[in-house]
Amino acid sequence: MKNLIVDAIPDSPYYPEVNFNSETGICELIGESYMEEAYKFYTPLLNWFKEHTLELNKPVTLNLKLTYFNTNSSRLLLDMLDILKKSQEAGNEVEINWFYEEDDPDVKDEVEDFEIETGLQIKMIPME
Amino acid sequence: MIMIYIEHPEENIICYHGPININLVSFTSNYIKKHIVADASVVGKIYKVFIELTQNVSYYSAKQYSKLRAFGSGIGWFRVDEKKDHFAITTGNVILKEHGPILKKNCAEINSLGESELRKLKRVTRSQVGIRDIGAHIGLIQMGLITGNPLNLNIESQNENYSFFTITAKVNKR
Repeated sequence: MKNLIVDAIPDSPYYPEVNFNSETGICELIGESYMEEAYKFYTPLLNWFKEHTLELNKPVTLNLKLTYFNTNSSRLLLDMLDILKKSQEAGNEVEINWFYEEDDPDVKDEVEDFEIETGLQIKMIPME
Repeated sequence: MIMIYIEHPEENIICYHGPININLVSFTSNYIKKHIVADASVVGKIYKVFIELTQNVSYYSAKQYSKLRAFGSGIGWFRVDEKKDHFAITTGNVILKEHGPILKKNCAEINSLGESELRKLKRVTRSQVGIRDIGAHIGLIQMGLITGNPLNLNIESQNENYSFFTITAKVNKR
């Protein structure tokens, strides 16, 4: 299975950088996410997770380093976390780390809402 | 013709009317982030509210600028003003007349709920919407959560088919 890499695009900062490593299972989303038609961007990411963790039963460590995401993107992030929840229920190893900026007063509620919706535990780590 | 009347020009930080697409939203939101002088958490809230509201115009304005792109170039306006104790982010766009009562109902519901109830409504709404078009409702709920203030909307009839919709979200300075 191939790695999934999307480099940061300075002229289009509304797309996050993507680095999904099939060898280590370490998957990162970095930057901001508020592109139009978010499902077009996220569908390959969701499919990658389905294959990697639901079909191949490989472990995943998801590091979310998103400093901003709009409500469209949050809908797709929820789908991503739902896939990981299914994988965890199937007995696979799943770890989710949410890196956040300490001056963001809304992020803790956002993460808590994702935890409530998915039943996953998400570790919050301040960005350096 | 749409006129934007700036009552207090000294309070206006930015004002624009025309097609609103993703690149304009991105450029302008980053301009705002760099140029507004306020606490970082306040600037962050303005940034989030501005993107969400302007993207609603981009996607859902009934008047799209088709020469620019087929999707996501809704025509409308936005303005950001600094008041004594808050920042006001306002957008305006044409909507289909039948959408007016739905928007009024949604905003009235959002304004009537406390934080925990709003978060519950957001979770329920988010889990029910499709991935292709999640609609403006969840974005408005998010505006209520981020600002902690009521949303102020106005809908004026233009003709038998269209109305003009304006919405203001206020971000407190403290």
